[in-house]
Amino acid sequence: MKKKLVSVMLTAAMGMSLLAGCGNSAAEVAETATEVAETATEVAETATETAAEVAEEITDYGTGEVKVWVADNVVDFTNEQIAKFQEAHPEMSGYTFTVEPVGEGDAAGNMITDVEAGADIYAFAQDQIARLVTAGALEVVEDANAEVVKSENDAGAVAAATVGGTLYAYPITSDNGYFLYYDKSVVKDPSTLEGIIADCEAAGKNFYFELNSGWYQTAFFFGTGAELTYETNDEGNFTTCNSSYASDKGVVALKKMLEVASSKSFQNGSSVSNATNCAAIVDGTWDAQAAKDMFGDNYACAKLPTFEGADGKTYQMSGFGGFKLLGVKPQEDDMKLAVCDALAAYLSGEEVQMARYDAVLWGPSNLKAQQSDAVKADEALSALADQLQYTIPQGQYPGDYWSLATSLGDSIISGEVKADADDATLMQVLTDFQTTCESYAK
Amino acid sequence: MAQSADSNKKNAIANFFKALGNGFKEIGTTFVEGDFKTKISFLIFGFGPLLRGQILIGAALLALEVLFFWFMAGFGWKYLSKIGTLGTVATKKVGRKTVYGDNSFLILLFGVLALFAVLAFVVIWYINIRENRKEELLLKSGKKLPTNNEVFMSLFDKNFHKTLLALPVTGIFVFTVLPIVFMILVAFTNYDKNHQSPSNLFTWVGLENFKNLVSFSGAGIGSTFTHVLLWTLVWAFLATFTNYFLGLGVAMLINKKGIKFKKLWRTILVMTIAVPQFVSLLYVMKMFANDGLINGYLIKWGLIKTYIPFWTDPVLARITVVVVNIWIGIPYMVLIATGLLMNIPEDLYESARIDGANPWQMFKSITLPYMLFVTGPFLLTQYTGNLNNFNVIYLLTQGKPQSVNLAEKAGNTDLLITWLYKMTVNDTNYRMAAVLGIMVFVVTAVISLVVYNMLPSVKDEEGFQ
Amino acid sequence: MKSYKAKRNLSNVLTYILLVIISIIWLFPFVGLVLQSFRSYATEYGGMVDYLIPKQFSLDNYKFLFDSAQTNYVLWYRNTITIAICVAVLQTLIQLCVSYALSRMRFTGRTFLMRFWLILGMFPGFLTMICLYFLLKQFGLTQAGAIPGLILVTVASCGMGYYVCKGYFDTIPKALDEAARIDGATRARIFFTMILPMSKPIVIYTALVAFMAPWCDYVFASYVAFGHDTSYNVAVGMTRWVWTNDYQGYFTRFCAGGVLVAIPVTLLFMFLQKYYVEGVTGGAVKG
Repeated sequence: MKKKLVSVMLTAAMGMSLLAGCGNSAAEVAETATEVAETATEVAETATETAAEVAEEITDYGTGEVKVWVADNVVDFTNEQIAKFQEAHPEMSGYTFTVEPVGEGDAAGNMITDVEAGADIYAFAQDQIARLVTAGALEVVEDANAEVVKSENDAGAVAAATVGGTLYAYPITSDNGYFLYYDKSVVKDPSTLEGIIADCEAAGKNFYFELNSGWYQTAFFFGTGAELTYETNDEGNFTTCNSSYASDKGVVALKKMLEVASSKSFQNGSSVSNATNCAAIVDGTWDAQAAKDMFGDNYACAKLPTFEGADGKTYQMSGFGGFKLLGVKPQEDDMKLAVCDALAAYLSGEEVQMARYDAVLWGPSNLKAQQSDAVKADEALSALADQLQYTIPQGQYPGDYWSLATSLGDSIISGEVKADADDATLMQVLTDFQTTCESYAK
Repeated sequence: MAQSADSNKKNAIANFFKALGNGFKEIGTTFVEGDFKTKISFLIFGFGPLLRGQILIGAALLALEVLFFWFMAGFGWKYLSKIGTLGTVATKKVGRKTVYGDNSFLILLFGVLALFAVLAFVVIWYINIRENRKEELLLKSGKKLPTNNEVFMSLFDKNFHKTLLALPVTGIFVFTVLPIVFMILVAFTNYDKNHQSPSNLFTWVGLENFKNLVSFSGAGIGSTFTHVLLWTLVWAFLATFTNYFLGLGVAMLINKKGIKFKKLWRTILVMTIAVPQFVSLLYVMKMFANDGLINGYLIKWGLIKTYIPFWTDPVLARITVVVVNIWIGIPYMVLIATGLLMNIPEDLYESARIDGANPWQMFKSITLPYMLFVTGPFLLTQYTGNLNNFNVIYLLTQGKPQSVNLAEKAGNTDLLITWLYKMTVNDTNYRMAAVLGIMVFVVTAVISLVVYNMLPSVKDEEGFQ
Repeated sequence: MKSYKAKRNLSNVLTYILLVIISIIWLFPFVGLVLQSFRSYATEYGGMVDYLIPKQFSLDNYKFLFDSAQTNYVLWYRNTITIAICVAVLQTLIQLCVSYALSRMRFTGRTFLMRFWLILGMFPGFLTMICLYFLLKQFGLTQAGAIPGLILVTVASCGMGYYVCKGYFDTIPKALDEAARIDGATRARIFFTMILPMSKPIVIYTALVAFMAPWCDYVFASYVAFGHDTSYNVAVGMTRWVWTNDYQGYFTRFCAGGVLVAIPVTLLFMFLQKYYVEGVTGGAVKG
C-alpha cells in the first residue's frame, strides 16, 4: 500500500514538473540541489583521496543507464564481457548496461547527428575521430587510463586515438589494414601485381581492389613514396596538410591505377560477400571467415604485391594500417562518466582483446595480446603483420578527403581520367586533387 | 490570358489590404461602441461571451489565452528570447563533467514554434473581438443568441468543416509547416558539421550560403550545382516520357482486340508496384553490377569479352537508371491508360478506318491527342514527381559514379534531392542542404506554374466533351 | 477478307510474342530473388554469386529469419505491420474528412488552404527530417518510441494528400446532399450515412496506398529508430544487410527476407487491384 502511494506521489511530482513548462523552474531547483550535493562530494573526494584505496570502495556511483554501440557480430561477446565487468565491480551495480548493434560507420554518423541520444560508449573506425571530436562526441580519456592505454598498446594505435596532443579514445584492434586474399589454384605467384592480374585474366576470374576508396588508394600512392598527412589541433580541426601527390611519384602511382582499372579482370570492391567469380581480393581481416568460405581449400593470403612503375622501378604496395577505437561520450554526470571510463578501459584491456580475438578473430592492438601464440599463428593476421611493415599508421584525415578520393577513384574507373593520357594531364589531375586536399586544412 | 491573370493578382493584393484595413476599423469600432463586457474582453478573452451566456465559446477562448501564456512562460519565451543570436552560452567543462550551454538548434526550432504561437494568439484575439461584436449586434437588433447546444451542434452541420479539418490542419502545421520554416531559416545560418548542437553554437550568416551556391570559383559549388540541376531536369523529362509512351504502347498491346488473358498480362506488370522498391531495386542494382548476374551470364555465354560497366560509367549509369525506371514505372501508366483507352468512342476509329487510315495514323490523330488531353495534369505531376524521384536513384546508384569534376560528393547520376540527402545524412552540412532544398522548391514551383498554364485541359475545360 | 484476317492473326501472334518477352523481363528479377533466397548461406555461400540457380535448394535463410536468437527480423516485420495497419486506418480517416470538407463545403479560407498545401508539397521532405527527429524526440517518440513516432508523423501530414479522394467525392452529385439537407439531415449525417457508404472504392484505394507505403520507408524510419534495432522496420533492418560491411554473406538472407515482405503486400494488391486502378485512373485524370 505504502509503495503504491509513493509511486502515485512520484507520478504526481513528475506531472507537476511537466506542468511547470517542461520542468523549467522545478529542474532549476533540482539542479541547484545537485550542485550543492556535488560540491559536497567534491570536498569529500579531496578528503578521501588522501586516504587512498579506501575511498574507492565507499564511492557511491548512484544509478543510471549506460548504452553501448558495437557491431552486430560482437553484441553477444560484448554482453558477456560486460557481465564479467559487473561481477568485478559490485560498487557500480546501480547501473544497467544495454548493448545495441550499431555498426562502426553508423555509430559515428548517429553520434554527430544527436550526441545526447547517442550511446555512452561506442566503437568506431579511426577515420571518424577528428569529426567526432569537433562535434563534441568524444570525451578525453582520463589521465590514469590514458597512461595505461599509451603503455600497453602499439604506437600506431595510440597515435590513431590521439587528436592534437590529447588521447580521445581507447584502441581495441590494430587490424584495420588490408592485404591480399587469393585463390591459390588460380594465382600462382602473389608477389607481383602484374602476375596476379595476368593469372586472373588467363583464368577468366576477377581481381578485386577498391580503387574508389581513399583508404585503399594509398596502397599505390604511398607505395611510390607520395605523401598525404594532416595535422590536427586539440579541437579536432585540421591545421596543416603535407602532400606530395602532385609529383612524379604521384603520376607513377596514378598510371598504375589506370592500368589496373583497364584490366578486364579488375573489379572495384573490397567486400568478399559482394564479390563474384573472385580469384584475388585486397581486403582486411574482418573478411577472413567469409574469404575462407568463398575460396574453400584454395584459401591463401599474403602481403600486398609489388608492382612495376612506368619509370621501370619496382615498388612495394603500401597503404594504411588502421585501428578500431572505443569512445566515451561527454557526460553531464561525473559518476556516470567514471563508470563509462572504467567500462571502456575494461573492454579495451588485454584480457578482453584476447577474448575478442578468440571470439571473432579481431586482431588486438594490445602489445601483450599481439605476442600470444594464437594471434601469431593466424594466417590472415600474419599476412597483415607482413604488410604492416610497409604501411604507415593512419593518422587523422578530414571527412572530405574520403569523398574526394572516391571521386578520383570513380573518375579512374569510368575512364574520365584516360588511361593513355599524357603525363601533363595526369599531373594536372593530381595537382587539382592536392590543392583540394590542402584546402581542407585551415 | 496572362493579362487577366495579372490583373486578378493585383485585385487579390488590393482585396487583401482592403480586408486588412476593414479588420482594423472593425477592431476600433468594436472598442468604441462596445459595452464594458466587450472592452474587458480585449484583455480577458471570452469575457463578454461568458457573461452573455455563451459559455462554450467564451470558455474556449479563455482556455486558449491561458494555454498561450502558460506555454510562453514555461517553454516558449526562453527560446524566443534568444532567437536573435541563436544562443551565446558555450558548452564548458566543469572538472571532467560537461555542462552544455545554449542549444542553437532547439532555440531556432522552438523559437519558430513560439513565433507561430504568437501569431495564433493574435488571430484568436481577433476572433475573440469579432465574436463580441457579433453578439452585441445580434442583441441590439433584438435577436436571441444561439444556445450553447446550438453552438455545439453546429460543429456537425454548418461548421462541420471545422470539426473535420481541425486535426489535419494542426498536424500539418506542427509536422510540415514548422519544419519547413525551420529549414528555410537554416539556409541563413552556419549550421554544419563544425557548428553542431549541443556542443557548438551556430548563428545567422545572412546570404553567405546562397553566395556559395552560385560561386563558380574556388570552393564554390556553382558548377556542380548547374551540372546536377541539368541532369535532374533531363532525367525527369526522360523518365516521364519514356514511361508515358512505352506504357501507352504496352497498354494498347494488351487492349488489342483478340488478345486473351488481358488480366494476366496486367497482373504480371503490376508486380513491380506491389513489391516494395527497397527489395526489387536493390536486387536489380546487384543484378547490373560489374560482377553481377547479367554481366556474369553475358561473359559466360561469350557474348561479351569484358563486363559492361552499367553503374560505373557515367553515361551508361544514366542510361541504366532510365531503363530500370521504365521497368518500375510503366505499370502505373498501363493501369491508367487501360481505363482511359476504353473511354475513347469506338465510332471515331470506325469512321477513321472507313476513311482508310492506318493504325499509326489513327494513333497519331485520335488516341494520342485524347490521351494527352486527358492526362495532362498527370504528366505534370509525374514530371515534378520524377524531379524528386529519390528511391530509384538512391537505391540503384546512390548518385554514383562520383567525379573529380564535381564538388561536395555529387555524383553523375545525382538528382538535387539525392545530393541534398547525402549532404544532410552523410555530411551533416545542413546549411547547404537547406539552400539546395529551397532551390528544389523553386525549380518544382516554376515548372509546375509554367506547365500548368500551358495545359490544354486547363485552358479549355469543355474540349473533347 | 481472308488477307485481312490473316494479317490480323499475324499481328496478334506478334503481339503475343511481344507480351511474353515483356513478361519475362518483368518477372526475371523476382524469379531471381526467389531462387537466390533458396541458396543456403551455411552450406553453399551467402554472398553474391554469378549464377542464378542454387546448387542445392535449402530453407536455411528462412530458418535464420525466424530464429530470434540470431536476428530481430520477426520483430521488424511485426513493427512494419503495426505501422502499416495504423497508418492505413488513420490516414484513410483523415483524408476522407479533409476531402469531404473541401469537396462539399464552402468556407472562407478554403481555396487558400488548398493552394497553401499545394505549395507546401513542393518542398522536399528530406530537409525536414532532422527537424522532425528533434520534434519527436521532445515527445519521447524516437528510439524505443519510434513506432508510434513514425505513425504520428505520417498521419499528421497526410491531410495534404487529399487529391484523389476529393476528386472522387466531386463526382458524387451534389443534388443528393441538397435533397438530404432539405429533409433536415446534418452535414455530419450526410457524410456518415450517405457519402461514406458510396465511397467504398476510394476508401479501399486510400487504405491500400497507405498500407503499402510504410514497407518502403527506409530513410526516415532509420533516422527515428536511431540505432535502436528493436524499433526498426523491415526496410531499415534489411538494407543494412546489403549496405554495411558488418554483414558479410547476408545477401541470400536479404533475398529471403525480401520474398517474405513481398508476399503479403503483393497478395493484398492483387486482390484489390480493381480499386487501385479506379483510384489511379481517377487521380490521373483529375490531376
